[in-house]
Amino acid sequence: MSKRAIDAVFEGLFLLTDIRVMLRETAPQHALDESQREKVRSLLDALEKEVAVLREELA
Amino acid sequence: MKCTGTIDVRDVDESSINIDPIQVGGRLTPDAMKAMIAYGDGYSVCDQCRKPFRLDYINTPPIAQFHRDLASFVNMEIARVVPGARRGFQAVADAFISPGDPVLITALSHYTEVLAIEGRGGVIREIPKTGSNIITSELAAQKIEEVTREFHRSPTLLFLDHFDYQYGNRHDVAGIIRVAHQYDIPVLYNGAYSVGIMPVDGKKIGADFVVGSGHKSMAAPAPSGMLATTSEWAGRVFRTTGVTTDVTKRTFGIKEIGMMGCTLMGVTLMGMMASFPHVRERVTHWEEELANGRKVVDALMSIEGTVIKSEYPRNHTLTRVDTTGSFDRVAQVHKKRGFFFSSALKGKGIAGIIPGATKVWKFNTYGMTDSQAEYLATAFRDIGRENGLAVTD
Repeated sequence: MSKRAIDAVFEGLFLLTDIRVMLRETAPQHALDESQREKVRSLLDALEKEVAVLREELA
Repeated sequence: MKCTGTIDVRDVDESSINIDPIQVGGRLTPDAMKAMIAYGDGYSVCDQCRKPFRLDYINTPPIAQFHRDLASFVNMEIARVVPGARRGFQAVADAFISPGDPVLITALSHYTEVLAIEGRGGVIREIPKTGSNIITSELAAQKIEEVTREFHRSPTLLFLDHFDYQYGNRHDVAGIIRVAHQYDIPVLYNGAYSVGIMPVDGKKIGADFVVGSGHKSMAAPAPSGMLATTSEWAGRVFRTTGVTTDVTKRTFGIKEIGMMGCTLMGVTLMGMMASFPHVRERVTHWEEELANGRKVVDALMSIEGTVIKSEYPRNHTLTRVDTTGSFDRVAQVHKKRGFFFSSALKGKGIAGIIPGATKVWKFNTYGMTDSQAEYLATAFRDIGRENGLAVTD
């Protein structure tokens, strides 16, 4: 594990935070419109990249 | 779900619309949440602290600049961060009040102002409110005259809340400060319910001190806040240590006595700083916040027997409402008694009202999206209808 892994951990946590904020903005029904869904999809894609970095660092 | 051990995850704002009167302006921005993740450790802002070893001199992270920005934000000359507005009150009280000094507050002042004065042995006198729960400059002038006759000198200080915590009513701070200054009384402007959610111009108001609350209105973790003043008073309230100890002959640089040295040395300050760009921007949207608040107030007023106790039309998103003639009437016959109302709100995903409250209660709509405000307004009307109350459209 290296500095790259540290950065990936923080970046991943920040991406999850953005998803958390989406939950707040749409409470209590969490009925996301299409642009909100797209934003969450994009956050999840970015999160998967950070997780992939961590897996690489672990290998 | 647990954070760990016996500590539950707190997900009130993720799962509900929160209308708690004291919580909504202190909810973190996304950037503050991220700062919390990175700066949670104790003295986390002190990595780059160098001589003269004082919080407001740290450049990395940019804490020194933040202090300048804070002063400018409320149009004052010098600012410090403090652990909550109450510690700002206390710092000013400590610098100005001697035992036996008469000190003015108002009939709607926050209790922490009382404690700050009491801690110094000051004698508290209250400016009364009008029948509609407003503090006016006329009443302030009368009280100053009365106190001056009683003590044979003017009050030492006046603590003045722009918007009070009980009704969220707006008080004529500029007019009252003008009157106080005619008697040479310095005035502390309590902006716990204004600084960070609406524009505040300390110089225009004429305040000698501007106090704001980070956790109440600046999207920051508790305890946090700010105290700003003019260059005239800064030397007094931010006076530095001059002591030399007798045995070790130690001195303590330029630590400020009233601040007890450094104040917010970690995550509270970083949360406040991370939110600040958003806070500076959001105050320009105050009218939109009021519009959302009015939607909800209008919905409550449409329910037969409900009375808005705060001034109307509303000038703040915090509102006091009396539902003795509506929801409390339902509570008298409902199987859940007084808990029916909070239970019905919970069922609709709304949190922040004290369970069992059906008579007089407060709510705050600050920070809602438009659709959340619409949802809340509809929810109140629906609860009324579902329980047999007459609701006008």
